[in-house]
Amino acid sequence: MNNHAIIDTSIYTAVTEAIRAEAQRILSGGQVTAVVGYAAARRKGSAQPIIITDAADAGKLIFTSACVNNLAVYLTKTKKGILKDGKIGIVVKGCDLRALFGLMGESQLKRENLHLIGIPCLGVLGSTMQPATALTTATIASKCGECDVHMPSGCDFIPAVELPQGPQLEGKYAAEIARLEALTPAERWAYWKEQFAKCIKCYACRQVCPFCFCEQCLCDRNKPQMVDSTPRPSGNTAWHIVRAMHLAGRCAGCAECERVCPMDIPLNLLNRKMAKELKELYDYESSLEVQEKGPLNSYAEKDDQSFIK
Amino acid sequence: MLNYISEQNLNDLLDQLIKSGKRVVAPRINSGTPLYEPLSASGEMDLKELPRRSAKETFFPVCEDILSYEKEGLDIKLSDVDPARFPETVLVGVRPCDAAAIPVLDAVFSWDYKDQFFLERRRKTTIIGLACTTSDDACFCTAVGLSPSTTKGSDLFLTPVEGGGYACETYSQKGEELVGNHKELFADTTAANPLPLAEARTEAFDLKKIKAWLDDNFENSYWDGIAISCVGCGACAFVCPACHCFDIVDEGTEKKGQRRKSWDACGFWKFTHHASGHNPRDLQPKRYRNRIMHKFKYYDDKFGQTLCTGCGRCIRVCPVGIDIAAIVEEISHK
Amino acid sequence: MCESNKNIYLPNLVTIADIINETPDVRTFRLVFQDEAVRDSFSFRAGQFAEYSVFGAGEVTFCIASAPTRAGYIECTFRGVGRVTESLRNLEQGDTMAVRGPYGNSFPIEEFYGKNLVFVAGGIALPPLRTLICNCLDQRDKFGDITIVYGARTEADLVYKRELAEWHERSDVRLVKTVDPGGESSTWDGKVGFVPTILEEAAPSAENSIALLCGPPIMIKYTLPVLEKLGFTDEHVYTTLENRMKCGLGKCGRCNVGNVYVCKDGPVFTAKQVKAMPLEY
Repeated sequence: MNNHAIIDTSIYTAVTEAIRAEAQRILSGGQVTAVVGYAAARRKGSAQPIIITDAADAGKLIFTSACVNNLAVYLTKTKKGILKDGKIGIVVKGCDLRALFGLMGESQLKRENLHLIGIPCLGVLGSTMQPATALTTATIASKCGECDVHMPSGCDFIPAVELPQGPQLEGKYAAEIARLEALTPAERWAYWKEQFAKCIKCYACRQVCPFCFCEQCLCDRNKPQMVDSTPRPSGNTAWHIVRAMHLAGRCAGCAECERVCPMDIPLNLLNRKMAKELKELYDYESSLEVQEKGPLNSYAEKDDQSFIK
Repeated sequence: MLNYISEQNLNDLLDQLIKSGKRVVAPRINSGTPLYEPLSASGEMDLKELPRRSAKETFFPVCEDILSYEKEGLDIKLSDVDPARFPETVLVGVRPCDAAAIPVLDAVFSWDYKDQFFLERRRKTTIIGLACTTSDDACFCTAVGLSPSTTKGSDLFLTPVEGGGYACETYSQKGEELVGNHKELFADTTAANPLPLAEARTEAFDLKKIKAWLDDNFENSYWDGIAISCVGCGACAFVCPACHCFDIVDEGTEKKGQRRKSWDACGFWKFTHHASGHNPRDLQPKRYRNRIMHKFKYYDDKFGQTLCTGCGRCIRVCPVGIDIAAIVEEISHK
Repeated sequence: MCESNKNIYLPNLVTIADIINETPDVRTFRLVFQDEAVRDSFSFRAGQFAEYSVFGAGEVTFCIASAPTRAGYIECTFRGVGRVTESLRNLEQGDTMAVRGPYGNSFPIEEFYGKNLVFVAGGIALPPLRTLICNCLDQRDKFGDITIVYGARTEADLVYKRELAEWHERSDVRLVKTVDPGGESSTWDGKVGFVPTILEEAAPSAENSIALLCGPPIMIKYTLPVLEKLGFTDEHVYTTLENRMKCGLGKCGRCNVGNVYVCKDGPVFTAKQVKAMPLEY
């Protein structure tokens, strides 16, 4: 029986209008040199990242349930030569904004160089392989089920749109993590072995991640070759574990890694689990505030040391 | 002329092939993801969705050993891979966009040096193609001279008919042998009409005009604009039926290990990075330009073929929604 | 296994018969095929390259630096830059490594018969020309005047010092060696100046001549105009290109410059061909 509820996204029309007006305003006024946002693409219902520098292009900007990308990745140093100097406007959902504040905390971005255009967000699609899919409780991204930043704070502009009360969303990640936690280590290992065996080392997960901004990824070096580069079970497992560890205390939970994986590996479970551990051990979580250092980059006297036996 | 097979008989055919020791590869759901995988029974086959990855991996695996080595004192013992052990395979349920790409790949893998890892698998595989009755707006096979019923690359081609089962036609000796060895499963003819084919989603591209523009516009600011969002992963190349670039690495220690080849992509930053630090394609737009150039110009220059079959997978999996059909169509209007 | 089922990626084992330290960071290996049949039948043309294996580290591409006219061994000259070349430096005389090849096109030496040859090289780029120089000197009467202009940053950076001494002694070779200003020692007996400048000074005649040029991109950039000034046309200037390679035989898709595969259409190109290529090398 199909009991999936449709989510009414009609507010996105008003959100779109508001973004366009704001972009037009700040570009024509010279407040920013560019605005990073979303625009419609060829396929019905699709959206893709766009960087506009001309106020006349503000009308191209949209916000719909297909606007899944975390645009913060375009502000990192891996994207050389894309953005000119000066202040940049950027369209951000709450989840994306957490990544931006995280990047500020790691001295990758300066708040004063950004004009943050926040999105009152009901949620976006979990997969845009078929972008014209209606947004329902079944097709919505798992991360949206646990979102507490529908109305992001700390922005320079946010459309004056009220979020309607939508259908109840289940916390899919929490449920799945609980399920995995209840398994024996051997069962859990078997589960992940099966998942990692699917990996083809396309590195889509790494390339969309705003926190994977190392100019040369450790795993791309061959002197020494830390992690086998071929898409085989051992190298794949090492890759995903290394990445989860390198993101611990940094990952903002935008779940882009999971969305973009062409092999449907539930990567965000690893990051969510790490986030859960860090919350329990160090009372740390990614937020809409600049935090100087993550828990794994700093030492505090009160840090849990029970793991030292 | 045997040209009909019922659903049940197709399943029986596959089960008979499996029982006789042949490897039968078909679209199958692997924990929710449709992939071309070996079947242990015909019931596993699921032809509803286009597999996430293409059929190229039946001939060009994601990763395979090409030799192994072991050091014994000052000597090294090299062990070759024996292509004789590649199994006899029947690849079934192959969409036209996937089947048509295989003969395209023949050209590069037999260019002067014969890559037996690919060619031996080719010799040992019979391809049963399947016409498409559904499509989505990422499909653009009709733009590159193909269609939902293209038989290119198929040894035996199945077209679904009303009432179930498939009209079929052989296009090669391999196809004829397959049918001949299982005559009892095929019927003489069918009065049933073929099911309507998937609608053509796009007009045909003027591939010559596109190539002519590419011939003259290597240094055009157009490239800086279209690839600005490309994040440099390998998803498009890996799901593509025609992309065939690969890496060769040694894994193991200096005493014992394997040399392997595995899929690689020109979208990666390090694809053309020299040990000296020099990188001819140092910025993403240059790397994306190479993708378009290779598919719509270089492969034509070298082998007279287009390196794209319009399957639309790259469009569906691209993390940032880059649409190659939109780009090539734009070029065709320049 | 019959020829048609040959594994094209399987290399031939070789023993390192000799190691010559050309400079503090450049080394030459003399390699002998372990399989007698291969040793006797291996042949190549000047300009071709091979893939050299250090098992565990991988393969690396170098031109075959010895002359095709010298039987029984092949040589490669390299600097430790990346993972494989640094592993090569750890190998010793008597160690086993492997080679597959020869690959690529070659200098069209038959078209050079009866012509004057002008070789211009810089630093570690002498190896691709050394194979041809030695080939020509082994068949000296087939060619006209032979002029070699070779320079490096400093005296210590000159490679093939032994050959340079031999060429210097020959009366049928005009060798002009140079070091960059500041690179000379108190006992230096050659010229001082950048290769393009010294070439212009030496002013070899372009009449009935072929120029062969190999060097770092900056040297090429400044040498081509000098050759043009001296009267060499682009069809009569040859050079070699290098690019990141893996398979070396036209399949892995990484060494292309536009639609030109350096491993199949090259590595030897005329200046005319190079100028027609897009700038991605």
